[in-house]
Amino acid sequence: MSYHLYLVTSVGGRAGFGIATDYHERNKHYASHSGDIVTFSYIYSGLRAHAKALERTIKTQYVDNIWMVDDWRTEWLVKGIPMSDLQAYVQDLIDTRHYKLKLLAKDYNFTQGVLDTTQIQ
Amino acid sequence: MAFNLKYLEVVRKPNPMTTINPLKRGKGRTVDLQDRVDKLNKNAAWKKTIKKWTEGQKLFDLDRMPKVSMEELGMLDIDEDIQRELDEKHCANKIANPDLFDPALLQPVICIKTSKGKYISIDTQHTVSTIAALIDAGLVPGVTNWKEFKYAFWYIETDNLAYARKAFGILNGKGKKKQSQYQQLRTSVFVVRIDKDTSDQEDVEAEQMVSIAEKHTCFPVEEDSDLLKYPGTFSNVSIFKTLSANELETACEWHNKYFHYEGIHVNLFFIYRDLCREFGAAKLPITDQLKEELAALVQCLFGNLAQFAESCKEAHRLHHKARHGYQGNWNDDAYACALVQLYCKFGGQEKIAPTLLDRFDGLVDFFDADIMSLVE
Repeated sequence: MSYHLYLVTSVGGRAGFGIATDYHERNKHYASHSGDIVTFSYIYSGLRAHAKALERTIKTQYVDNIWMVDDWRTEWLVKGIPMSDLQAYVQDLIDTRHYKLKLLAKDYNFTQGVLDTTQIQ
Repeated sequence: MAFNLKYLEVVRKPNPMTTINPLKRGKGRTVDLQDRVDKLNKNAAWKKTIKKWTEGQKLFDLDRMPKVSMEELGMLDIDEDIQRELDEKHCANKIANPDLFDPALLQPVICIKTSKGKYISIDTQHTVSTIAALIDAGLVPGVTNWKEFKYAFWYIETDNLAYARKAFGILNGKGKKKQSQYQQLRTSVFVVRIDKDTSDQEDVEAEQMVSIAEKHTCFPVEEDSDLLKYPGTFSNVSIFKTLSANELETACEWHNKYFHYEGIHVNLFFIYRDLCREFGAAKLPITDQLKEELAALVQCLFGNLAQFAESCKEAHRLHHKARHGYQGNWNDDAYACALVQLYCKFGGQEKIAPTLLDRFDGLVDFFDADIMSLVE
C-alpha cells in the first residue's frame, strides 16, 4: 500500500506539510478543523519509509522556515514563504536524494474522492 | 539470489559546519557581567520570576549571605550523617595524584558555623582531608601541624543540621545545573586546542576522538543546538565517547562517504561499534563492498539511518510481542543485527559475523510489508 507526503495550503494561504496513509480522510480532517475546503497543493506517493524520511528532513534541515507557536514546532511554514518554495525544496530532495516518491496529484481536495493511482505522473 | 540494491550518489554540497564548528576554536572573547545581566533582563522566564518576587514582597536578605574567613583546619568537624564516607582512593588517585595535583585548583571548605563556634563540613571533606594528610606526611614546606594550618572557610551561620543536609544535596548536584556531556567534551578539547595543555590523558583522548570525527566532517554539538540542522552533526556525546578510535573512524568515514547530506543519528555509532567488535572477534573484515551495500540498503529501503532506526524499533516491538507475548524494552543491539539480517535477506553475499545473525532471529520479517515486498 502506498504512503503519502502532502503539501497543504491553509485557508489563509500558509504552506504546510504532512504524511498520511489515507490522504482523502486526512484532507477531510483539515476541512473539518478549518471550516472550509483545504487544498493539498501536491501529493506525493511511494514508500512509507521514504515519505517519513523526507518529512523528517523538512523538519530538521528546513527548520529555519518552520512556524513556531511558543516552543511548539508546527508543520506549517512561517508566513511569506510561498508554496512554490516548499514544493521546489521537496522536489529537489526527491530528485537528488533518490527518495522513491512520485507526484500523485496537484490541487487536491476531498471532494475529488480517492484518486485512481494510475494517474501517478 | 543476488543483491540488487544500488547506492546512488548524492551530490556533495559545502557543509557550513566546516567553518562554524564551535569546537574548532573558541570564540576568543570575554564579556563583562553586564552582558549576562542584560540577557537575563530580556528573558521571559526571568521577567516572570522577578514578578513573583515583587508580588510576594520577597527581598534578598544580605545577612544570609555566606561568609568567608581563614580558619585553622583543626577547627573543622565532619558530620558523617551529612557527608559521604571518605573515599580514600579518590584522595590518593585523583586529588593528590602527583601528576595532577595543583594547589591553585583547591576549593574552600564549605561548612556551617554553629552558635557554639563549631564548623561542620558540608562539602569538600576530600580536599581538606588530603591537605591535612599531605601536611602530616611532611610534604608542605614550613608547615608541621595541619591542625594549625589556616585555610579558607566558606560558611553559613546556623544551628540547623537539616539545613546543612539540604545544602550538601544542593552542592552535590540537586538544584545545580549540571555540565552536559557536550560541555565536558568541549572543555577537554579546548584545554588541548586553545591552552595547548596535554597533561591530562583524558583531555588528549577526547580531542583525538573529536579530530577523527571532524576529519570526516562529523561534528558533536550541544543537545537542542540550532546547528543540528546541518549535515554531519550529532548531539549524543555519551555514546560517541564509548567508541574506540577505530570504531569511530569506520563509522564517520562511512557516514561521510554515503550520507554526507544527513545529520548523524546515534544508531550509526551503535551499528559500527557492534559491527567492528563482532567482525573483529570473528576475524572477518568489514569489506568496502559490504559498506557500500549496507549504504545501498539504507538508502533504497529507508532513505536514511534515522528512518531505519524508527522502522527497526517498530519491527523490534512487533517481533518481541510475537515471540514473547508481551511488550519488551528496546535494545540498541538490535540495530546492527537487523541491518545485517536485512542485508542477507536481500541477497547480500559478503561474509557476516555469525553472532550478529543469531541474535533477534526472525526480526527482519517484522519490517514494513512494503519494504519486504521489495525482496525479489
